[in-house]
Amino acid sequence: MNRTAVLLAGVLLTVASSFVGLVVIPDWQLDPLAPVQAPDGTMQPQKPTGSVAEGRAIYSELGCIYCHSQQVRPREFGADQARGWGDRQTHPVDHIYDAPPLLGTMRTGPDLANIGARQPSRSWHHLHLFDPETTSPGSIMPPYRFLYDPVSRDGAGPPETALDLPGEFDDPDYWWVPTDRAEALVDYLLSLDHSYPIDDEL
Amino acid sequence: MNLIYLLIWGTWVIFGISVIWALSWAVSRGHMTNVEQSGQSIFDDEEPIGEMTDYFPGEGPDGYLNAQEGTDE
Amino acid sequence: MSEMADEPGHPEGDPGVPPRDRDVIRRARIDESCRGPVMFFILTAVVWLLVGTVLAIVASVKMHSPEFLANLEPLTFGRVRPAHLNTVIYGWSSLAGIGVLLWLQARLCRAPLRFHRLLYGVGVLWNLAVAAGTIALLTTHFNSVEWLEFPVWTAATLGVGFLGVMVVSLDVFRRRTKHHIFVSQWYLFGAVFWFPILYVLANMMIHLGMASGIAQATANWWFAHNVLGIWFTPIGLAAAYYFIPKVLGRPIHSYYLSLLGFWTLALFYNWAGTHHLIGGPLPVWLTTVGTVASMMMFIPVVTVAINHHMTMVGHFQKLKYSPTLRFIVFGAMSYTLVSVQGSLMALRTVNETTHFTHYTVAHAHLGMYAFFTMAMFGSIYYLVPRLLGREWPSATLIRVHFWCTATGIFLYFSGLSWGGWRQGEMMNHDTVDFQAIVDYLIPFLWSRSFAGILMTVGHVAFAILLWKMWRGKEPTGEPALFPAKGAPKREEDSLHDRPPESKREESS
Repeated sequence: MNRTAVLLAGVLLTVASSFVGLVVIPDWQLDPLAPVQAPDGTMQPQKPTGSVAEGRAIYSELGCIYCHSQQVRPREFGADQARGWGDRQTHPVDHIYDAPPLLGTMRTGPDLANIGARQPSRSWHHLHLFDPETTSPGSIMPPYRFLYDPVSRDGAGPPETALDLPGEFDDPDYWWVPTDRAEALVDYLLSLDHSYPIDDEL
Repeated sequence: MNLIYLLIWGTWVIFGISVIWALSWAVSRGHMTNVEQSGQSIFDDEEPIGEMTDYFPGEGPDGYLNAQEGTDE
Repeated sequence: MSEMADEPGHPEGDPGVPPRDRDVIRRARIDESCRGPVMFFILTAVVWLLVGTVLAIVASVKMHSPEFLANLEPLTFGRVRPAHLNTVIYGWSSLAGIGVLLWLQARLCRAPLRFHRLLYGVGVLWNLAVAAGTIALLTTHFNSVEWLEFPVWTAATLGVGFLGVMVVSLDVFRRRTKHHIFVSQWYLFGAVFWFPILYVLANMMIHLGMASGIAQATANWWFAHNVLGIWFTPIGLAAAYYFIPKVLGRPIHSYYLSLLGFWTLALFYNWAGTHHLIGGPLPVWLTTVGTVASMMMFIPVVTVAINHHMTMVGHFQKLKYSPTLRFIVFGAMSYTLVSVQGSLMALRTVNETTHFTHYTVAHAHLGMYAFFTMAMFGSIYYLVPRLLGREWPSATLIRVHFWCTATGIFLYFSGLSWGGWRQGEMMNHDTVDFQAIVDYLIPFLWSRSFAGILMTVGHVAFAILLWKMWRGKEPTGEPALFPAKGAPKREEDSLHDRPPESKREESS
């Protein structure tokens, strides 16, 4: 019986200690982090609200993180910064409102930590989501056509928000119009901008 | 920050002490004597050391069991 | 039940029955006590294996042919991939793991399994939860937290259900009639505590928001790394530690090493998870701890490797004769490989290249498939004939299963490792255009799909075997060595009118 007690104690202590060390202490260390003042006077990062928050939920449920990271590594570690994905290493402050954090572990596609700053064109994002080949030939990103509604071309001209598909991708029968989900997702992508400086060392 | 390092190292020290304690406890209670014999506890008279206990269906080493199969029924 | 041996007339206590037969009868009774519930876990696990395999193929094909099934949102890559992971982890691997765990624990404790209704309840609950969770991943909102994508209510159901497994396995442990605790039992004992602790705490921290921001990421990888290390690994190792010596008929090389291996695994694996976040936005000490612990993992890994290898040495030709041994040894060797590889990948210099690439994907499959899944296949080949009292219907299908899965995973691993490593190298040179990396990878992604098809063929062969086994009315002969065939001297009677045959009808 004593032997079992020691076994049980060992089993529980090992897992409990790592939980404290790897989860509780970091939480306690990082919990006090607060937004910083950016050069333009705004406080960053900003808490996602409205359509940005909705877009973040869509980013999550469409599993974007399985191909795109949102973390820039240190300057001399990999080529993240040399590729223009960001000018500084991502800091815990960048993720205080990002729960659960959409850090990602895979780069089948490029990092998106600063995609809003790198690619601020709304129409580019819509075209890219509708069919990645329109903007990035050879891309293996899946098309998200199901985020767009077809509107028959009979009669009137294109709806205001209809996609301006380039030549070979143009659909002779339908105009393609972003759904609310597509608009929200693009709002979220455009909000991804962590270019404000943070002095604090990691 | 210093407090964190203290906590981490403190945890490891407490851990080390309990590991050493557990080891000496085990030794003093005789758990470390005859350790090697424990490996034999999964064998018994029916499935003794030296006998394999798994074969492909209908096959045995050196065709020995194939010969046996026929006479079983 | 533990006093069964003392019942008057019971064969174990009956001096009239020779000791050899007493062992056979004792084992047959324990196997019989496991039959219903353990078969339920194994059969439903294999259903999830097939579902998970289909999802895997769909996800794999989508990676090189993005237009494949592109217009249906439930089948978009970002939904299919987590659905694949969760079905194979919580469906196949956990259910098969629970089945093997219960049987092994009962056999090693030399005590029958009790609380069948509870176990059936757990089995049904667990299956429903995985099914509902998977449908949720394909159709509704979910938080993409790797390995923890299931909605909270699904996770809660799995957590509550697992309590039943805990109760039953601890009950059989408490009633063990063999005083000595074999090393496999240590691992199994640990695993039934570790899984619910990990799963419940991680879900609370992340989905109930008890941790903030980046701390949720460390909770995520504390869980995702540990669920491999202290849930699946202990079951896989328990199986290897039992079946290698048991099938060979040779005691484990060094029992002392096996104990050292257990404690160092428990100590170090727990702390290794943060190496998944190297270079990420978290205090440096956190990833350093992960790297140090990963290095320390060499101790348990080397002890296990030496132990298994030295037990096998001089007996490798026996792999030809035993399906169980084949799968288990394949698994044990993969364990050594995947662990050494994992420790190296935790080094910053290696991680700089391998992080964010298919190299990591290949590594994950080396662990969950080449090690754990193959170990489960091997265990199932050993225990099902003993549970059902009949022999596998086809040696050819077993060979098809082995060779398809073995070559499949080899191809999978080597293709993605090579491609993934180059992917990382190219990514770290900003002069290489990103699209060039994508183009470079496509042949490797095709090789993965091809490997996946090979593995699928193996899984189908396995499912057919199990189906025939389960539906088979007539015993096709005695299970290999069920009465030890290697020992020609002792014959029939005492065993043949005993439980396994006589009660089969009512329980099936």
